[in-house]
Amino acid sequence: MTETQARPIRLIIIDDEPIVGRRLKQVFGKMGFDVEIFTNSLAAVQFMEKNPFDIVVTDFKMEELDGMEVLREARRINPSARVIIITGYAKPETAKEAFKNGVFDFMVKPFRLEELKEAVLRAAKAET
Amino acid sequence: MNFEYISIFLRSCSFGKFTCSKRLSALIISCIVSGEKTEVAFLQGIFEKIKGGLRAGQAQREESIKVKFEQFKKVLSSNQAALEIIADMGEKLSGDYIFDRRYIEESYEKLSEAVLKSVNALNALCDNKYKDLYGVYDRVTRHLVEILKQREDRNGPPVILLKAVTRAHNAVVGGKAKHLARIIRDLALPVPDGFVITTRAYHDVIAYSGLAPSIDRLEGLIASPVVDHEEIENLRRDVQGRIGKLEPPPRLLDAIAEALDLMDLGSMDRPYMAVRSSAQEEDMDFSFAGQFDTVLNVRARPLDIFLAYRKVMASLFGKHVIEYRRTIFEGEGQMSIAALCQLMVDARSSGVLFTIDPLDSHSEDMVIVGNWGQGEAVVDGKMPTDTFRVSRKNGLKIASREINRKKEALYLSLAGGLEKREVPEEMQKQPCLTDEEVLKLAEMGLRLENYFKRPQDVEWVVDQRDDLLILQSRELLVKEQDHIERELLDLEDKYEVISSGVGLTAQQGIGCGPVKIARTIKDLDNIPEGAVLVSPRDMSNFVQVMKKVSAIVTEVGTPVSHMATICRELGVPCLVNVSGILSKVHDGMEITVDAEDQKIYKGKVRELLIYRNSRSMNVFESRDFRLLRRLLDAVAPLNLVDPLIEEFRMENCETYHDILRFIHEKAVQELIEIGKDEKRLLKGNITKRLELPIPAGILCVDLGGGISSDAPDDHCELKHITSIPFRALLKGMTAPGIWHTTVMDVSFKDMVSSMLNAPTDALDGQYSGHNIAIITREYVNLSLRFGYHFNIVDAYCSDFPRDNHIYFRFLGGATDLTKRSRRARLIAEILKAYDLNVKTKGDVVTARMGNMQRKDMEYILEILGKLIGFTRQLDVHMESDVQVQRYLEAFLRGEYDVALH
Repeated sequence: MTETQARPIRLIIIDDEPIVGRRLKQVFGKMGFDVEIFTNSLAAVQFMEKNPFDIVVTDFKMEELDGMEVLREARRINPSARVIIITGYAKPETAKEAFKNGVFDFMVKPFRLEELKEAVLRAAKAET
Repeated sequence: MNFEYISIFLRSCSFGKFTCSKRLSALIISCIVSGEKTEVAFLQGIFEKIKGGLRAGQAQREESIKVKFEQFKKVLSSNQAALEIIADMGEKLSGDYIFDRRYIEESYEKLSEAVLKSVNALNALCDNKYKDLYGVYDRVTRHLVEILKQREDRNGPPVILLKAVTRAHNAVVGGKAKHLARIIRDLALPVPDGFVITTRAYHDVIAYSGLAPSIDRLEGLIASPVVDHEEIENLRRDVQGRIGKLEPPPRLLDAIAEALDLMDLGSMDRPYMAVRSSAQEEDMDFSFAGQFDTVLNVRARPLDIFLAYRKVMASLFGKHVIEYRRTIFEGEGQMSIAALCQLMVDARSSGVLFTIDPLDSHSEDMVIVGNWGQGEAVVDGKMPTDTFRVSRKNGLKIASREINRKKEALYLSLAGGLEKREVPEEMQKQPCLTDEEVLKLAEMGLRLENYFKRPQDVEWVVDQRDDLLILQSRELLVKEQDHIERELLDLEDKYEVISSGVGLTAQQGIGCGPVKIARTIKDLDNIPEGAVLVSPRDMSNFVQVMKKVSAIVTEVGTPVSHMATICRELGVPCLVNVSGILSKVHDGMEITVDAEDQKIYKGKVRELLIYRNSRSMNVFESRDFRLLRRLLDAVAPLNLVDPLIEEFRMENCETYHDILRFIHEKAVQELIEIGKDEKRLLKGNITKRLELPIPAGILCVDLGGGISSDAPDDHCELKHITSIPFRALLKGMTAPGIWHTTVMDVSFKDMVSSMLNAPTDALDGQYSGHNIAIITREYVNLSLRFGYHFNIVDAYCSDFPRDNHIYFRFLGGATDLTKRSRRARLIAEILKAYDLNVKTKGDVVTARMGNMQRKDMEYILEILGKLIGFTRQLDVHMESDVQVQRYLEAFLRGEYDVALH
């Protein structure tokens, strides 16, 4: 669990629906993560350029950069970053491409919060 | 001559189920009456053809019984599919899911398709007898489309009294009025009388004014990614200016006048009203609060109110509102605004109440701040006030009073609006509330907090007659503390964990209070405010205490039960399926339930409560949540509960669930209709006589998997029954001691009475055929008639709790009404003791239950089987009310042969 970590794990959440982001911030904040939320994917990538981060949870369908582009940018800036994409529009080829680009997990809405928590915890434990 | 043809006509028309269209009948009758020979001969030919056709049809139908059963199975499966989609949608509202608009749209599409399939299947089964159901389906579907397009704010009355507002008006009355209406409806707290000018009226006014094209253009600009600040500003200002000069539509003035007439203006000779905005989004924390206009002290006359309303409307097009919508609130679509018009209270004192101390999260006090006169003086913070602290520990007690000298206060001005006046010298140093009023107010605050499940910020007023009224109650957010999340990490070291990671979230949230265990419905009677309800399983009857409990925990249950749905409606934190919880808690033990993380702690976990109080629950107000909730409101409620009552009619279907219920009932009726003709049934080769050790005379119609294949061709025995629910029922019916064959002495009076009073649908022949059981592996519909008693059991029982249901109905009886009513009461009491949801009307008892594990379903079905046998002839024993209690206790003790003694 995260309590054993020396420093809190830094999590970036990107979703263009503000409430989703704030809700996830509550959930992961309560679990001890250091959470930054963004509704604008471009602003999130700009933040990544300047600040350390460990895990990114991003929506797929967004204006500016979509989830795939966020994935590429995040992995370019920090190759050890774990990126989880959540989407309501799942196509097999999208998922395939995401895995090719090193996505940690690809989750299709609707899902239980618990499933996302588990995925993020797995990402937190994953060897980089 | 004519009579001859009329009689042919009548014979033809009453042949089988053929019915002429009205127009054809009219034509035929007019010909007959005019007596024209050629036409008469022509018609005679038609009649012969019709008769011939019907005979052929009859023969075909006999051959096609198998087809009928296939069609019936289709009805069952399409209904089941639709109900599963509804359950799935409901579950998403627990706060435990991430979903998006696409999910909502897809669910809607799947659901409307599934319901249409059911309508088709019913009509295929019943030879298009229910064609009108398509119209009903279209009506409900149109409503859903309106909701999806977010246009449902146009449907409803233009003006409605505040006390008449129900959930059905949620889309048109706006957030503020919706909230107040709940306080009136569910808590019966005193709130100033008033009415709402709805969003429907808003759209009417816009249409009347001719402003629609400008507003549409403005909406287009707001939604556009390309921003033309100047054009938006010009258009906005133009629209706002024109609204400010709108002429009142006469019909709206009439509606306002009517509402004023209906209000209780009491002895007020010059009543004034406050006209406030009530926008759909107002209660959200990134809300527009403060950006919409409020007009105080408006004369209670239609024109004055319209002029104030015009101002509120115009504020929807204020510069900041538009900017806010464009930037922060983007994508919400077109907005409309309702106005809440309430009587102004001529205040003796007023102020605010915080149910926890917003400045000190460790305090256990409520805080009341007040002044003489109108409350605006307190809210502004510009005048001195009194402060009362009320301790919440072990009952409410006044902890301290800080009484200041209050030289000035705000009062209603005769010219309209408010005016500052000097407080009379002798009152300046007096407290603005008596101790009694302080405690009464604190008690109201506690009820509001327990109802809304979060600390509240309450605006109150005491009028000139010293009556206390609630003006507003909203969620009180304490200041967010950054370190609090860190404190949550080692809770398990600091507090004893009663349960962790066990159970399912039916509704998210955090609640704390003393445990109250409810094993039966009776235990609900004295639940204290703020208790945590712990129960063996979920019951929809919990709704009666939901407004005062702080959380609900059940040992078994599913997040899709009716109870879970109500928990979500009322925001009650709820964990279900927490196995073993009953052995770990006892009455009065204080626990904290974290339904977000499925954890239950012993004691009050202050950190979690502070965490809760510093966080808004606005996830439940997000766009997608609201949309799904509104959609479900139009889909899931069941209004057509009892097929026995007058209201069970096609045109009374208001939701998809109603339509599905109607379809199910009519499909079953159709099969029972066929069942009356034993020969036809047996020809179908699906039907077998059930031979039991008791004389029940049941014919089994197996639609698949209900009877094992090794049963003989013409009959079957108990051991051959593989239908899960039917086997459970039979197990109860054939249990030792249940089925006594001794004939009861029926008095002459009872016999006569039964002949005179047999219920009408008992005599219309519907159930006069065999006792019939329509079964599949998971389903049974059993119609049983014994003498003058009728039992119907309709049950679905599978490994998926959320698909499972039981419906039980009992009616009739060979005795006088008093005895019959006693027996109905006995049956109702027994069913209630097993937690079924029971309704009694005269001597008809209906009971329902659902969303249970298979083993619990089987248990209840067995009980129903026993009950059917037990009560078979009991009514003749029902000599006094004492008997009811005696037999109830005997049944619960398992002494089924009590009737023989």
